[in-house]
Amino acid sequence: MKRNVAIISVGYNGRFVSKRPDINIPELIQPAVDTAIGKTKLKHDQIEAYVVGNMHTFEGINQPHLWASDHFGGSKKPVMRVATGGSTGASVYQAAYYHVASGMYDVVMAIGWEKHDEGDAQVGLMGILLPEAFSLFNFGPDMSEDRGVAGLGGGGSTGGAAFQAMSYLTKAHAGIEHIDRVAAMMRSNAAKNPYAHLQQPGCTEADIAKTPIISYPLRYGHTCPTSCGAIAMILVSEEKAKKFGITDRVAWVKGLGSGASDATTGNIIEGQITDPAEQYMCKVVAKKVYSMAGIKDPRKDIQVAEVYSGFSHQDLMWPERLGLVDEGKSPEMLDKGAFAIDGELPLNPSGGVTSTNAIGASAMVRVGEAALQVMGLAEGGHQVQRKIENVVAHGWGGLFQFVTVTVLGRTPVKK
Amino acid sequence: MAQETRIIENTWDLTAYQWKIESDALDLFVKGLKDKKILGRKCPQCGTVYVPGPTYCRKCFRDIDQVVEVSQEGALDAFTVNLADVKGTIVEHPYITCTVKLDGTHSFLMGVLEGWTDWRSIKEGMRVKAVWKDVTQGALADLSHFQLTEK
Ligand SMILES: [Zn+2]
Repeated sequence: MKRNVAIISVGYNGRFVSKRPDINIPELIQPAVDTAIGKTKLKHDQIEAYVVGNMHTFEGINQPHLWASDHFGGSKKPVMRVATGGSTGASVYQAAYYHVASGMYDVVMAIGWEKHDEGDAQVGLMGILLPEAFSLFNFGPDMSEDRGVAGLGGGGSTGGAAFQAMSYLTKAHAGIEHIDRVAAMMRSNAAKNPYAHLQQPGCTEADIAKTPIISYPLRYGHTCPTSCGAIAMILVSEEKAKKFGITDRVAWVKGLGSGASDATTGNIIEGQITDPAEQYMCKVVAKKVYSMAGIKDPRKDIQVAEVYSGFSHQDLMWPERLGLVDEGKSPEMLDKGAFAIDGELPLNPSGGVTSTNAIGASAMVRVGEAALQVMGLAEGGHQVQRKIENVVAHGWGGLFQFVTVTVLGRTPVKK
Repeated sequence: MAQETRIIENTWDLTAYQWKIESDALDLFVKGLKDKKILGRKCPQCGTVYVPGPTYCRKCFRDIDQVVEVSQEGALDAFTVNLADVKGTIVEHPYITCTVKLDGTHSFLMGVLEGWTDWRSIKEGMRVKAVWKDVTQGALADLSHFQLTEK
């Protein structure tokens, strides 16, 4: 890319919660925008362009950016909406990055949100499942008892998550207790993050193990909530950062990328089901991003990871696929405390997605949290105390086949 | 503020959906099922065997027209155990959906797993074989389930 880009500010609307019946979507977004701007010396009119996004269909409201633009300051300015499902937040952020890196704009705001209480995520997922299901009806599936429903194994990511979890556990020679353990760690990390949704201070493996099995090996305690919340970030060019006199507490975008693999369990119509735990593209993209960021050894040069895990087994899987941990070694890392906030590789100090999931915001929250860690501004005790040079943020979407990776750092890559 | 819930009654005519997505992969697959055969496609370039077989190789991006009949036995890959039905009622005999890698193939088939007594002792890699419905009609349902052949 031509120019260096820095994230200079990250703002949330407040704490993520289940329901906000007192406000509408624009009112949910606006405080995040004001917070992000308020942390800088900028004025609203200095934002040159906006890239915004949320998950389509989950709120039951089409094109919410059309009537939210006035409220976030987008009126009479370039506004681009990006909606790529689970990875929306990361795609919004990446589009905002390209707005600046390309030289077209100098100061761009990225906004991601979800107001889950206005719709039904399950209904949204049905929109993905039904075309698949109806198509299969042409080929005579067994519809007796529950077979027709389970046999599909699709309908967005949830159908395939249990298969992925089982496949991962077998590959890593791990058990359901490891998923319980990492789930508990995330909920107790969340208690140190004032913006996190499910905050359970001191949550233990036993607390999670008490929750019922949904589809073995996944329990209720291994799944994410549906949250309401918004995040806004300001991205500026290196030139403008210098002009504003803000090159100290910023997070430089050092590398970023995205990729797509074959669809996993839902792809029976196309004639192929792949192993959802393999994550070939995650490995490829991570490698490419590290090389763009000038990182030779990610295990040495990256100090913190914020990964997108809608289901707790993924908190063990992604660090391996991102090349931060040997394949199959995450359970061991977890057991020796390496993933703790004060461990050798802090994993999701924020509490991650299993603690907070406002879908259109979630993948951007990973980037925002990575930026806060680099800046040293993570609030409420979830700031990693040892010296941070680089942080990796990750997102996924679809049936686990879309992946986004970003490396943020304290110093920009030399051009 | 009190929670307000509204119930709107309506009917949904599922038969109104009349589109058919062409799927050469599944057309070939269900045709084989009628004769109790499992058909896939093999890439002449890299040798990858797909079941059901797409019409092009995912690795080489070239057309594949080589149809192959594959083994009806293979190894259990991932599985998930449903302890309750879709309404949440606990079931006596859990319902297990699995992915299976048939011998000599490189992709997975999804199906129902039977032939076990304690689901807790099921492990990835166990041997399975395909079990057919008595009467086959060229439909996905012809392949009844996969049976564990080892304990
Ligand atoms: Zn090939």
